[in-house]
Amino acid sequence: MAPKAGGDAIKANSSVYKDKSKPTDIRLSNINAAKAVADAIRTSLGPRGMDKMIQAANGEVTITNDGATILKQMSVIHPAAKMLVELSRAQDIEAGDGTTSVVVIAGALLDSAEKLLQKGIHPTVISDGFQKALQLALQVVENMSTPVDLNNEDALLKAAATSLNSKVVSQHSTILAPIAVQAIRAVMEPIVSGVGARVDLRDVKVIERIGGTVEDAELIQGLVIPHRAANVNGPHRIEKAKVGLIQFCISPPKTDMDHNVIVSDYAAMDRVLKEERQYILNIVKQIKKAGCNVLLVQKSILRDALSDLAVHFLDKIKTMVIKDIEREDIEFVCKTLGCRPIASLDHFTAENLVNVDLVEEINEPGGKYIKMTGCGQGGRTVSVLVRGSSGAVVAEAARSLHDALCAVRCVARRPALLAGGGAPEAAAAASLARASLAAPGADHYCLRAYADALEVIPSTLAENAGLNPIETVTELRAAHAAGAGGGAGVNVRRGRVTDMRTEHVLQPLHVTASALALATETVRAILKIDDIINTMN
Amino acid sequence: MVSLNPIRILKNEAEEEKAEVARMSSFIGAIAIGDLVKSTLGPKGMDKILVSCGRNSGQVEVTNDGATILKSIGVDNPAAKILVDMSKVQDEEVGDGTTSVTVLAAELLREAEKLIEQKLHPQTIIAGWRIASDAAKQALAEASFDHQKNLNEASLRVDLENIARTTLSSKILSNHKEHFTKLAVDAVLRLKGSGNLKAIQIIKISGGLLEESFLDEGFLLNKKVGVHQPKKVENANILIANTPMDTDKIKVFGSTIKVDSMAKIAELEVAEKEKMKDKVNKILAHKCNVFINRQLIYNYPEQLFADAGVMAIEHADFEGIERLGLVTGGEIVSTFDSPDKVKLGHCKLIEEVLIGDESLIRFSGVALGSACTIVIRGATQQVIDEAERSLHDALCVLAATVKEPKVICGGGAGEMLMAEAASRAGARTAGKEAAAAEAFAVALRRLPSAVADNAGYDSADLIARLRAHHSRGENTMGLDMQNGTVGDMKKLGVTESYVVKRQVLLSAAEAAEMILRVDNILKAAPRRRGPDRRPC
Repeated sequence: MAPKAGGDAIKANSSVYKDKSKPTDIRLSNINAAKAVADAIRTSLGPRGMDKMIQAANGEVTITNDGATILKQMSVIHPAAKMLVELSRAQDIEAGDGTTSVVVIAGALLDSAEKLLQKGIHPTVISDGFQKALQLALQVVENMSTPVDLNNEDALLKAAATSLNSKVVSQHSTILAPIAVQAIRAVMEPIVSGVGARVDLRDVKVIERIGGTVEDAELIQGLVIPHRAANVNGPHRIEKAKVGLIQFCISPPKTDMDHNVIVSDYAAMDRVLKEERQYILNIVKQIKKAGCNVLLVQKSILRDALSDLAVHFLDKIKTMVIKDIEREDIEFVCKTLGCRPIASLDHFTAENLVNVDLVEEINEPGGKYIKMTGCGQGGRTVSVLVRGSSGAVVAEAARSLHDALCAVRCVARRPALLAGGGAPEAAAAASLARASLAAPGADHYCLRAYADALEVIPSTLAENAGLNPIETVTELRAAHAAGAGGGAGVNVRRGRVTDMRTEHVLQPLHVTASALALATETVRAILKIDDIINTMN
Repeated sequence: MVSLNPIRILKNEAEEEKAEVARMSSFIGAIAIGDLVKSTLGPKGMDKILVSCGRNSGQVEVTNDGATILKSIGVDNPAAKILVDMSKVQDEEVGDGTTSVTVLAAELLREAEKLIEQKLHPQTIIAGWRIASDAAKQALAEASFDHQKNLNEASLRVDLENIARTTLSSKILSNHKEHFTKLAVDAVLRLKGSGNLKAIQIIKISGGLLEESFLDEGFLLNKKVGVHQPKKVENANILIANTPMDTDKIKVFGSTIKVDSMAKIAELEVAEKEKMKDKVNKILAHKCNVFINRQLIYNYPEQLFADAGVMAIEHADFEGIERLGLVTGGEIVSTFDSPDKVKLGHCKLIEEVLIGDESLIRFSGVALGSACTIVIRGATQQVIDEAERSLHDALCVLAATVKEPKVICGGGAGEMLMAEAASRAGARTAGKEAAAAEAFAVALRRLPSAVADNAGYDSADLIARLRAHHSRGENTMGLDMQNGTVGDMKKLGVTESYVVKRQVLLSAAEAAEMILRVDNILKAAPRRRGPDRRPC
């Protein structure tokens, strides 16, 4: 049991921590709640991890293996449990991958901390001890990493494949991994003086489409617009297109103030109709004059962006028109095509148009979409089309691809790779255990506990793969205790401990380092809490 | 027949608590509040989770800041409310010491309760307290020291760093205190004694680690530059505006245009556009190359600005543009008729920077050279919020110290020497007031005692030893919380701001006195309300 209430006969200089009962209860309840969250997603860790089916309140079903997604959908109430959900979100933002591991590590750390509390060690002492352990662990992990050259596609591929192997789509990792690597390589900008490269994931657009299989996923150097052209019987394929992106509307004029058109007789009505026709024709003529044959129209909420009459005229001049481009997407479209948006008709001139080699409307059973390739002046952006047989599969494939993209991005940001399969955790645990022997006082226990907690990763990997966790972990520990363990990790495929580097299971250093740092930070925050207060607003 | 019931003077449902009962309810309320925040005191103090109910129910906040905790809880007890208000005032006045002031006031009342039991009159207690607090104040002033005589940059910096370190060590940032000490001191020293904390902007970006937080010399705005406009402007002339950039509408409700042909509408549409173009031309006549608007800038004007090669930033929030006006020396305008009278803001370089996943706009080389931005990174929203609060406390204390560069020893040394002075004053006093003065000293000693308790050390032993040192006149001795022993605070570099400590003493004594004077609590009858049908 935890330290009991009471303050009888305190010995002088006693270092045993006596606590009031309420803070202890709060702390225990926090730890238990957080552990429950960690236990909920523990089984989805690793290549043989299981998936979760989540039914949302509106009846929609998500099947996923991604820790951050599971936790986001789970509506937890307990405040400490919420902190773990936040933790996995933070890992998602920071590294994008390892969202399950970070929560599992935090759960294990809290488990160890609970045992230390029972020994009578003060929570802040544990918290400080864990911080020291973290520094050591990060050092170990950093030392065992191998730097990579960003031009070495092979190494990046391995990192992406390792990330994908734990997902539903693992059998397609040979297809998705190269896509992820190519996409990141296409958008990354090397930092001029320094290591690594800068990657803005907003430059990679992932488009989900139902129909086909995951194998049909493709990378497009250009722009994909996931809906059909607005034309009724216009062209479906234009080579050497001249594309214009407009932000004004081709529909009857509308002032910002309310207006009424008063029609007093039949002749007036006729005139109004004729004028409307004339007005639209004028715009279309200008478009034709500029030589534009593909027109992208920004979505407008105030009025029809494109009237039926306009579509009719544009059909006649054989111009493909695509409407409903969202305002947020304008920047991406501009960057991809290298064009600038045109906000008024008088700016619609030939120099504001861009050349695109091929624009085609592709007809598929699942619906039509527009593909633009060969944008000469375009910037560094790519689109990835992910397909799958059902909504759930596509969504999961897109999530997995996002994780793989993030994994590659992490390597780009900090170009170093680690062996996977729990090897870094096992190595850190081994050297922490060694360091604990020399550490005095409570630090000894804290380092030891941290080491034990880190072993949860290899242990869970083994457990999820149906191996004997005790046997595997001890074997691993023996390999690392010798000091020459190097990349020894849990090889799930062969069911024993092998050197993961020869198995090509590699993961980015940044993912592991940030998982350790974030998990420790959260655990320390939870340990320092001794009260939960309900507030007014 | 005369009713045996007491005569009702107050309105139905109004309540009155008299003498003993009133005093008891004050004591209970105040002591409860004190105990609530007591465990957050000191470098090893604990944190609290605040869970919101009501509108944003379920939101979680983790904090160690007394003012934040007390602000969030709803109290009904009048005495408790006084303490909450007092900590709020402390927060506004000096920014730090919000927990200490509450705990001290509560401890004073705890002692007062004992004295009342011994049949001391409240007024006698108050008289005794006054003697004690005067003595304590004087002792504190005497013990304070500064580098006024040889005030140079280096020694001021050392002082400030020590103070910042002491303040931060009781917060979430304690593990990264060296890093944040540097940040806070750098930021405050940039102000060059002006103490205008408004020029220090704090931006929170989630992701990354706490130690990745940094100080940026310049101003950061969390906005984006319009499409196809220059992303980098050197020697910028900035026009800061608050004006609608869609159309200048007639603001009369229901005004409509009545026409009889489509062509006229088209004409009107063109006229509206022309008006916008005029407005843009007027703005451009200010010879600015950066235009920042608080409201949206629509597609058309955005394009016109792009044509003119002007960087246009839309939808900057109110606080953002006010601060921008302050640091760049420009003024916020909403009419553009007289370009020569408008003061433009200036800065050397404006560019886009990428921090984490977010891209921000950085203004460097601004007119107000003291301005700077601190970017806080952290794992979760709670961590970042708490880090911001801690940093705010540190900045407040530092700014106060720059104004009055007196410091005193921390680690409970200040409280102990005040207690020593109070009890000596008590010993010199003839009469019942002596007991009250002694009680004041006891209450002061409870602060270091709580600090030691929170860290799990044996407080009785430590405080006794500390007291022995202080009675020998070694008034720099305090608690060394790293090792759980008594140590010389001056050597350890644990110092606090004199202003904060004095404010803690005076506010707490005042509040406790005020509560003690109360002998009757009247509660007005609640206003009748209809049933609340809102779901919540």
